[in-house]
Amino acid sequence: MKSYSGFRFGVVAALALSGPALYGIAAFAPAANAKDPNGLEPEESDTATIEAPQAGWFYVRGGWEVDGTAIYDGKSGKMKGIVASSQLSDMAIDPAGKYYYISETIWSKGNRGTRQDMVSVYDSQTLKLVTEIPIPSRILVDERKQNFVLSADGRWGFIYSFSPAQAVNVVDLAKRKFVKTVELPGCAALIPNPGVGFSALCSDGTMATVTDPAGKAAITHGPAFFAASDDPIFENFAYDKAKNTAIFVSYTGLVYTAKMGASPEVSAPFSLQEAAGYAPAVTKPLSVAWYPGSRQPAAYNAASGELFVLMHMGEYWSHKAFGDEIWVLDVAARKVVRRLALKEPVGHIEVTQQAEPLIFVNDEKSEGMILDGRTGEELHRIETAGSGVISVASGS
Amino acid sequence: MKKFDADAVCEKLLRKQAGRTSRRSLISRLGIALVAAPVFPLLPVSRAEAAKPDRSPEAKTAFARSAQTEDDTECTYWRYCAIDGALCSCCGGGIHTCPAGSEPSPVSWVGTCINPDNGKAYLIAYRDCCGKPMCNQCLCDNTDRETQLYTPQLNNDIIWCFGTQSMQYHCSTAVLVGGAE
Repeated sequence: MKSYSGFRFGVVAALALSGPALYGIAAFAPAANAKDPNGLEPEESDTATIEAPQAGWFYVRGGWEVDGTAIYDGKSGKMKGIVASSQLSDMAIDPAGKYYYISETIWSKGNRGTRQDMVSVYDSQTLKLVTEIPIPSRILVDERKQNFVLSADGRWGFIYSFSPAQAVNVVDLAKRKFVKTVELPGCAALIPNPGVGFSALCSDGTMATVTDPAGKAAITHGPAFFAASDDPIFENFAYDKAKNTAIFVSYTGLVYTAKMGASPEVSAPFSLQEAAGYAPAVTKPLSVAWYPGSRQPAAYNAASGELFVLMHMGEYWSHKAFGDEIWVLDVAARKVVRRLALKEPVGHIEVTQQAEPLIFVNDEKSEGMILDGRTGEELHRIETAGSGVISVASGS
Repeated sequence: MKKFDADAVCEKLLRKQAGRTSRRSLISRLGIALVAAPVFPLLPVSRAEAAKPDRSPEAKTAFARSAQTEDDTECTYWRYCAIDGALCSCCGGGIHTCPAGSEPSPVSWVGTCINPDNGKAYLIAYRDCCGKPMCNQCLCDNTDRETQLYTPQLNNDIIWCFGTQSMQYHCSTAVLVGGAE
């Protein structure tokens, strides 16, 4: 890069050689060396670095045709930077806070040519590419966080694949190499399962658990506990690290909790609507009720044990409708403790893990809103914040 | 790019099966099946026939109640009960036709939609057209019986451009496969 001082010397030299016709301008040249009376000093170009992932930050995907995952500071509403993420990519955050991992697919000639699937590793403070870890394949779908999850210690990455056979690719993030593919027919939505491997929801209504995924990769299925075709569970589950418990919501609003382990134990479900004082919602047509829905319908704050669910009025099979209210469910008490009305329908929700949580919601026009987690008061509004899925560090 | 070759997969499976099965054992198994046939329960079939599907407005989804058969460039067109994406009918293609320069995916997700003219349900294959940028016209997202990735054939978010020259999503068609009842 050219330095400014070199450039300035060049200008002065050129002016000095230009002859009397330029005396008026040349006379200006020495003045540039003098101290500016307004304190405006010559500058150098440089590049920012940012802090390691913070508890109050939100990560917002650009959307279907907008690359990049923007980082917003929830307190100020200001952008901290953008992690380079391509279309249909998935992001996972290193629990140690050193890296952002992007699972992505690109082609050698733009929309054609050789397909390349990889995990791109970015330094969390410089946001510069550290390395790429090639993988054999991955699913091409948008709007989900459950297609790329990490083990609790950050050693292993599990990347969901659909080719169209269903499988999971296991990556050793410490050695930065692909390890193996575990075939997992009929299952998806990867759930962390510390000390075991990972689990997943299956089309027969069971939960599959893969023990030692990088080694023997033994697959076991628990008993069927949900109706995968008639009342499916949203893949957008919540996970409580301290309690090692996953929390699921079905299309009708049934809430299940699963104590993770070698043989996860799923609780009997309860109705979200009933927890708010209504009759449980049903699958029958013409039955208008509050239903959970949208692209990313639930987020969880482990400190308070509260699940934040986007709800809309409608009929069954309206599970992608954007939310008009946030229902805050105290999961342990099985009670909806707050209902936060939204100014406009939103498609994604995420909440920070702080004791005083912040909520981020966005709509299809990419407008982002940061809300107070207790009152729902709008603290910041960000135009073109991103219309895609939202994450937080150490999030649900 | 590695392509999904259904022919090769089926051939491999059949050859494997043939390799494990002798002609005599096949005839023997067929014989057992024929002898045992009367014992097979016919009841579920009879029950299915007896229980005619309820096509009253009360039994129809919100989409089915307002579906129409006239205009396939509208999201309310009856075959679009579980479509997600840009309608190829608005992109220079048609209900089962990919726009010029794009290529239909051989595999797809499916929907079961009711034709309001005759009240019958039909199986619809939502085949993506691939290899050109997103058409961005007539964007629809209908979700009758649409589920999650663990039941991929009923999920409308997946890019289904398998076995095509390019996996870039362009638009979606709604190909009538046949009656669903």
